[in-house]
Amino acid sequence: MDSDLDEVRAQDIRDHLAACEPCAKVCEELAAIVDVCRTEPADEIVPPNSQALWCRINNIIESEIKPEPPLPQIEEPRRRIWRFSLPQLAAAVVFIALVSSLLTVLAIRNYRTPPADDYLSRSPESQTLAERLMAKVGLVDTPQKAREKRLAEQQAVIDYWNKRVQERRSQWDARMREAFDRNVNIIDQSVNDYTVILQQNPDDEITGEMLDSALDEKTSLLRQFAEL
Amino acid sequence: MHLFSGSVGGRRGRAKTTILLLMSVVFFMLFAGNAAAQKRFSKSYPAGGESVRLELVNKSGTVTVIGWNRPEINITATLEAPAATVVPQNLSGKIVVNLVRDNAGRGEIGNVNFTIRVPYYTAVDIETVIGNLNVSNISSTLVRAHVSSEGDITLTNISAAGVSADNITGDILFDGELRPGGYYRLQSMKGTISIRIPIPSSFKLVATAPSTRNINLGAFDGGSMRPLGNGRRIVGQSGDGSASLQVTNQQGSIQFIRR
Repeated sequence: MDSDLDEVRAQDIRDHLAACEPCAKVCEELAAIVDVCRTEPADEIVPPNSQALWCRINNIIESEIKPEPPLPQIEEPRRRIWRFSLPQLAAAVVFIALVSSLLTVLAIRNYRTPPADDYLSRSPESQTLAERLMAKVGLVDTPQKAREKRLAEQQAVIDYWNKRVQERRSQWDARMREAFDRNVNIIDQSVNDYTVILQQNPDDEITGEMLDSALDEKTSLLRQFAEL
Repeated sequence: MHLFSGSVGGRRGRAKTTILLLMSVVFFMLFAGNAAAQKRFSKSYPAGGESVRLELVNKSGTVTVIGWNRPEINITATLEAPAATVVPQNLSGKIVVNLVRDNAGRGEIGNVNFTIRVPYYTAVDIETVIGNLNVSNISSTLVRAHVSSEGDITLTNISAAGVSADNITGDILFDGELRPGGYYRLQSMKGTISIRIPIPSSFKLVATAPSTRNINLGAFDGGSMRPLGNGRRIVGQSGDGSASLQVTNQQGSIQFIRR
């Protein structure tokens, strides 16, 4: 249309337009527009109504956009405290005060319990309420369990020192050997007596305490002779 | 008659002289033998400061500690054969004698009998494997006497804030006063424990004799003292109970004596 193409290329396009109807039609329309622009003065060309054009475009766009579904309404979190009524709040305060007072009293009573005997040698009867509660929920051992655990530990220590004593024993003189045997027998006699009593009465506090003490004595004796 | 008598008298006189000579020889030999079997150790240390401490570990023999009114520690010891090595250490006011450590691996060693004089305000901590321990005239923070196996413990004229005496076989005597706030622990497996204290004395008592149930409180009976466990234990308070007294005798008895 503008005669910009070389002859060979222009001939190819003409051949195509002759064979292809849609392209020929487009070419005619374009040629018509170009002719108008060339022949008519620019001020006589009717300017498009830009406002109406934008209105139409806007309408088309709006009709194509689907309306978004409404967002679910998010409820503002309510402050729970305002759900309680005044009597409820008062009851809660009284309850907290009572519980803390009770715990304080329990703690003071436990603190004041005479420490003549330790927890290991205590019977279930002499346990404080707090101790019983804690034992029930498994926070602490019952006195019997604690004693069994302690006895097992003591026996392990005694076995260790006994082995050491057997290694060293040959280096002692006869007087030392005799003294050692005599005194171990005395301790063992007490240990056996206490064990029998505890089998008959596991809750006997004094016997539990004495057994603990006798085993400590035996450990001490073995340790001191093992160092000779 | 006179001559005859004189002759008989002369024979008798000679016989007497011979017997006396023989006895002297025997006595001398015995004494000399004994002297040869024993060695003697003696050493003194100045003890000027207020915090003086004696720590002694013996293996066998008797240990006697006596408080005196001099700023000096005097150690004397007789060592029976085979003689032990005694190496006291002076660690700035603390005298340490440890025969078990110093004679480790030596096998048999003879008895070592100590007599130690210390300032009366000395803290005394002594122990032995076999043998008696005696402590007297001490007024300090601590008196501890420990016999690993058998031996008596005698604590006489003691005034200390903390007293601990324990053995397995043997008697224990505590003779002294209980200080307010003091802690006193006497423990034996088999023997008699005697406590000789003045009236009035203030203490909290836990006395246990589970086998014999023989706990004689003497003048301290009554008041708040009460038996527990069918008489195996007595607990209670005398005076304001400011001191704590714990006495345990597993197979023996406990007795209180008025001082």
